[in-house]
Amino acid sequence: MLPTNLRITLIIAIIFYFILILIFLKKKALELRYTLLWILAGVVMGFFVVFPQLLLYMIRLLGIESPMNGLYVLCIGFIIIILMALTSIVSKQMVKIRTLVQENAMLEKRLREAEKKVDKYESISDGITDTENL
Amino acid sequence: MESKKPLIIIPAYKEEANIEFVADNIINNYPQYDYIIVNDGSKDNTAKICRERNYNFCDLPINLGIGGAVQTGYKYAERNGYDIAVQIDGDGQHDVSQLEKVIAPIKNGEADIVIGSRFITKAGFQSSKARRAGIKFLSGLIHICTGKKVFDVTSGYRAVNSRFIHIYAENYPNDYPEPEALVVAAINGGKVKEVPIIMNERKSGTSSIRAWKSVYYMIKVTLAIIICRISLGIRRQ
Repeated sequence: MLPTNLRITLIIAIIFYFILILIFLKKKALELRYTLLWILAGVVMGFFVVFPQLLLYMIRLLGIESPMNGLYVLCIGFIIIILMALTSIVSKQMVKIRTLVQENAMLEKRLREAEKKVDKYESISDGITDTENL
Repeated sequence: MESKKPLIIIPAYKEEANIEFVADNIINNYPQYDYIIVNDGSKDNTAKICRERNYNFCDLPINLGIGGAVQTGYKYAERNGYDIAVQIDGDGQHDVSQLEKVIAPIKNGEADIVIGSRFITKAGFQSSKARRAGIKFLSGLIHICTGKKVFDVTSGYRAVNSRFIHIYAENYPNDYPEPEALVVAAINGGKVKEVPIIMNERKSGTSSIRAWKSVYYMIKVTLAIIICRISLGIRRQ
């Protein structure tokens, strides 16, 4: 069984965790779709702290002796999944950035060449007006 | 038959010492080829030299690595309707005089991709023993995974036809792309041919594969090839 004082601490920690997520979301410092995993992790943790019998049952199934160790395993599991999701997001962004950089460079090339043509045209037309003035 | 000249793609990262030599050589001695220099976000004078000398170049605002730079070249080739694209290194190791040999099999339809290989005739600049052993290993791995025997799998001297210009413009590997690009070619059913070329020693600067990176290189490329092979298996089902 989880000791009562530990459960109270954990419940407070989880409430604090949700408030933090909420603040981040309100400030738009977190994209909601990336937060779903965090929220899910918090809900599952909270569930197990409020109903420790379920946690104990799960732990016995897995062969873990202390309930606290069970919570650790759970935590680490969530962290690994969240990290993987992050790596996946970074990788997708890398592909997008790569495409953007390439498009930007090709656009810059076209712009550079267009500017050169305009410059040439302008210097020619300048020459024409000059002779007209004469 | 050829509507356009072949395009030479020259990726350049910190090549201020070599780029002038490479580009001027093509402009003055090989007017039968077009070229595009892709400055891979180098902070040295590579871009400045290109601008001053009025070279045909793309300037990537940040460094993407050789794969991203070469892919920019393929995208450029695709948009401008080139039928043949040849990638060479920006450091002057690859002799443009050998280019006709490399594009010949594409011109007469023998191959989709041609690799200029150092190892077939063993002439010209070779590389260190460890590197050759690594290349041999990768070559064997690619042979097992794709059934294609290529000796010089890391050679950056390669020519492709319009079909593979499109494929590589869409999908070109990232970090150390040469061996992986071969697997991409195999997945897409490309005919790969290797022709012997003679390579010069680097004019100056260091090769992009440094000693302390080579272990990472081997692991990464091996993994990439195997994963490519697995996804090929899925595609076939």
